Amino acid sequence: MPLNTIPNKGLTSRGYSSDRIVTPLIINGDMSVAQRSTSASSVSSSGYHALDRFRFGFTDTDQLVATISQDTDVPSGQGFSNSMKFLVTTVETALDADDALQIQYRMEGQNLQNLKYGTSNAESLTLSFWVKSSVTGTYALTFKNSDDGGTKLNVNTYSISSANTWEKKIITISGDTATNIDNTNENKLEVLWALSAGSNYKGTSSSGWTSYSASKLFNGQTADIATTSSANFYLTGVQLEVGEFDSTTIPSFPFESFESNLRKCQRYYENLTANGSLNIGHAYNTTQARTYFQYRTKKRAAPTITLATAGNGDGEISFLTKGGAYVGTIGTHTALNVAIDRFNISVNSGTYSSTGWVAGDAVFFYVNGNNYVVWEADAEL
Amino acid sequence: MISTVEKKYDDMLSSSFIYKVTFSDNKLMFVPHNEENRHYQEILEWVANGGTIVDNGE
Repeated sequence: MPLNTIPNKGLTSRGYSSDRIVTPLIINGDMSVAQRSTSASSVSSSGYHALDRFRFGFTDTDQLVATISQDTDVPSGQGFSNSMKFLVTTVETALDADDALQIQYRMEGQNLQNLKYGTSNAESLTLSFWVKSSVTGTYALTFKNSDDGGTKLNVNTYSISSANTWEKKIITISGDTATNIDNTNENKLEVLWALSAGSNYKGTSSSGWTSYSASKLFNGQTADIATTSSANFYLTGVQLEVGEFDSTTIPSFPFESFESNLRKCQRYYENLTANGSLNIGHAYNTTQARTYFQYRTKKRAAPTITLATAGNGDGEISFLTKGGAYVGTIGTHTALNVAIDRFNISVNSGTYSSTGWVAGDAVFFYVNGNNYVVWEADAEL
Repeated sequence: MISTVEKKYDDMLSSSFIYKVTFSDNKLMFVPHNEENRHYQEILEWVANGGTIVDNGE
């Protein structure tokens, strides 16, 4: 039985003919979760900036700056509340051969074994999404299988024919009977929406699954968001279905509760926002203390930890005395023993102060102010 | 882009360490020694391109 399939008679309203619920392969396709920020301005480098799970790739761009945000502009009557908006705020003056701009959605290989890639039973996939842009033209849409034995591509195109108008796009690809998807928790299958592509990424046409070549990656792309002043690109309703579907047979969008969507996103990223005293730690000598945090959701892999700045200013973190006062030297904070389910924050003040700790003291871990992000745990692909 | 990487040891458990990574925009991250972590993969790439991890010992 496919891993993303659960038998359940009576819950087949999405349009599948069989008795099953299909767990969405795309998380946050309705753009409802934006843990990092609902609006990230001055973005000029690759990374996860606003909407969870949707990454932006800035490849060798020089001047390009954008705002990426969660927006309420959505296709009418489809049930969506949010979209992801990319807005050019500083234009790329010229699209060099090595420049590219793309949206990336990355999936773990272990969640895709039901596709049966590398066998004669490899399943087709159908990607459906709603898109709207101020820039008309042809856009490349590429699937990338990062198999340990060699990367494969499946390059497609779609057109945006009317500026500033929501359009639904459906793209079907065949299964790859030649190359499997590695069964790991790493990025093994990626969907790439090209927004701009320099000449290095075009020029070689391909059909179906093909070995990686940079000149194939975004072949066919003519639209150019990066060099267009104030250009925008909206995306929502991203769904990936196992099987071949068209505009009349595509199952309805797999809406989930916000809580379910959030919990799935937190496998890859979560943060802690707090007010004032937020945890208890212990001092193990006069200059050192530590505390312990457990994530709400186990991570895909040991995550990268980012801490708020140490200090006593707004939004800054520190360990207080057992009486709740600042110590003489707040010290340097370090995240340690980072695992998929928890980590420590340790401080070394370096200098004993009479207003400091005694070994064995229980101490407050504190953030000065309300609603500041204390830490982020990032296990994204 | 990575600027510096320093190996930081746990005072209470010396076999445990983490990479303190400073990026060119002054952002600071603590990155575990784990090949499934994409920032650790960036460190490996940075080292392959000539970067040196500061290791002041335990």
